[in-house]
Amino acid sequence: MLERMSPDLAQRKQAAVTILFLEARYLDDKEWDSWAELYEPDAEYWAPSWLDEYDTADDPNTQVSFIYHDSRSQLQERISRIQSRKSITALPLPRTLHMISNITTSEEEDGLVVARSNWTTHIFDPRVQKQYLHFGTYEHVLKPSDGRLRIARKKIIIMNDRIPSILDFYSI
Amino acid sequence: MSIHASISDLVDDRPGDQAFHVARRAFTDPLILDLELSHIFESAWSFVGLTTQIPKPHDYITTFIGRQPILLMRDGQGHVGCFLNTCRHRATIVCPFKRGRQKFHVCRYHGWAYDSAGKNTIVTEMDDGQYPPSFKDADRNLLRVARFENYRGLLFASLSADVPPLSDYLGDAKAFIDLVADQSPVGELEFVPGEITYTFDANWKLQFENGLDYYHFNSTHASYVDILNQRAKSGTSGPLPQEAPDETEGQGSFSFDHGHAVNWSIKRQSRYGRPLVTDPAYLAELKVRVGETRIKWMLRQRNLTIFPNLQIIDISSAQLRTWRPLAVDKTEMTSHCLAPVGESAEARRVRIRNYEDFFNPSGLATSDDNVMYEFCQTGYEARAGNTFGHLRGLANGPISSSGHAQELGISPVESAFGKPAFGGETNFHPGYREWRRLLQRHVDGGADA
Repeated sequence: MLERMSPDLAQRKQAAVTILFLEARYLDDKEWDSWAELYEPDAEYWAPSWLDEYDTADDPNTQVSFIYHDSRSQLQERISRIQSRKSITALPLPRTLHMISNITTSEEEDGLVVARSNWTTHIFDPRVQKQYLHFGTYEHVLKPSDGRLRIARKKIIIMNDRIPSILDFYSI
Repeated sequence: MSIHASISDLVDDRPGDQAFHVARRAFTDPLILDLELSHIFESAWSFVGLTTQIPKPHDYITTFIGRQPILLMRDGQGHVGCFLNTCRHRATIVCPFKRGRQKFHVCRYHGWAYDSAGKNTIVTEMDDGQYPPSFKDADRNLLRVARFENYRGLLFASLSADVPPLSDYLGDAKAFIDLVADQSPVGELEFVPGEITYTFDANWKLQFENGLDYYHFNSTHASYVDILNQRAKSGTSGPLPQEAPDETEGQGSFSFDHGHAVNWSIKRQSRYGRPLVTDPAYLAELKVRVGETRIKWMLRQRNLTIFPNLQIIDISSAQLRTWRPLAVDKTEMTSHCLAPVGESAEARRVRIRNYEDFFNPSGLATSDDNVMYEFCQTGYEARAGNTFGHLRGLANGPISSSGHAQELGISPVESAFGKPAFGGETNFHPGYREWRRLLQRHVDGGADA
């Protein structure tokens, strides 16, 4: 059965899709500051580890995550590390290409929009002339703020969790 | 050139001449890796897990020693056994999972079954199998590793019986396991759930060295140091431990028999917080229990290496990492956040955040190391003679009168101590001496060369 959407919901769904694609574009274009601006100041950014073959961590305070941040300023710390040109992981930076598909959205209370999607990041590292990819799912919780949507929470499941050398915000 | 002479030449160790060099080929020659796997990884004590990973009857975990698949199980009586994870029938992996709880492991190929004590309970259609009598009388149980022992809940196994008792093997390095375990109100360690696995395209010995290498920190991790300084300035670091005014700032190491070593530092004010410091009431209680000296050492940065492939790093958090070589230029790392059982929820939260901040390919420091190993691996291919990579600290010779060792009640084979920027490299030497001894022993013994 086809989903019936009110024009308002259709609009918000379109806005959600737009922000997901915009985020991918900023990451791949290395426009880090614009990327961070997509997030609320108290946004949660969470890439949990896997507990076993089937389940990922579900509590960042009692289980390990690849990355867990609970504010935009922590994302900006990661950006400053890359921009300082003092981290060898960024000399040179890998080229990345994010692909996002299978987006579904649902609306929660308080006007929050939850977007679930599938992602792939193709990575080429000119340092070692190697390419690999990461893939998984995103769950974005988007919050209306100043007439636009911002990311209040992003959960990133990394399906292939045996990591070659480096994993940072631009590679997932 | 004989193999013996060739191995001997790989480590140029002349204390009298204050010389120590490791040949570049030790990092790049696949033939050497084959020898390392057989005669070091698969012949020495290897860390395989914690008792707290398999707390209940029939709990199991799987791992590897070198190339060989391992199954650890707690049986119905509560005894932990360590077995080769291979069916006695056609070699199949008996347990294909990372962890779980099962009374029986049934090989999916032909249905042979084993209980959690490793006993073979079913040979499918045995009576109709027209087996020779020798089979019916044979021991068909899962094969146990040659040696299996436990120190403070750390389980070690050896595929060779020709190893000293674990307690002798660890020697005074045990004091540094104790300094982590005794932070727990019940004296036990556990892994925070969530194992991280990563690889780097470089020789395993680069990781072995890096864990003992204080010298690299400010250069390799310059971007992380900036972040730490920024956090200290903006007051977001949380409470930072401080040393008493009568402690001399500096950096040192202890080296032990069998290749183990620990490096440590004394800083007027630490750059990182500690889980222990987040809980002043418990810290005070612990001080009464373990004394001022050991508390002081618990709060100091300590990087412990147990040869050949275990490192326990206790800084802002605690990490336990192991590795296994996949190729001469590819290494697989397994990393755990190590924690004292029974710490407060807030100490645990801080421990996890600090662990993620520093360690793993997604952390702000380890990722730099991984890239450095790969640059080293490429560089080691240069046919350019020895490096100057193992010389810092050699001018002083072994210092045996260090008060630091005395106050800990240990007798290391070497105690090194210098200014905060010392970064001695002599604590790598025991590992290379053990490395050479194990490889040479094999050649001298004329085993399956």
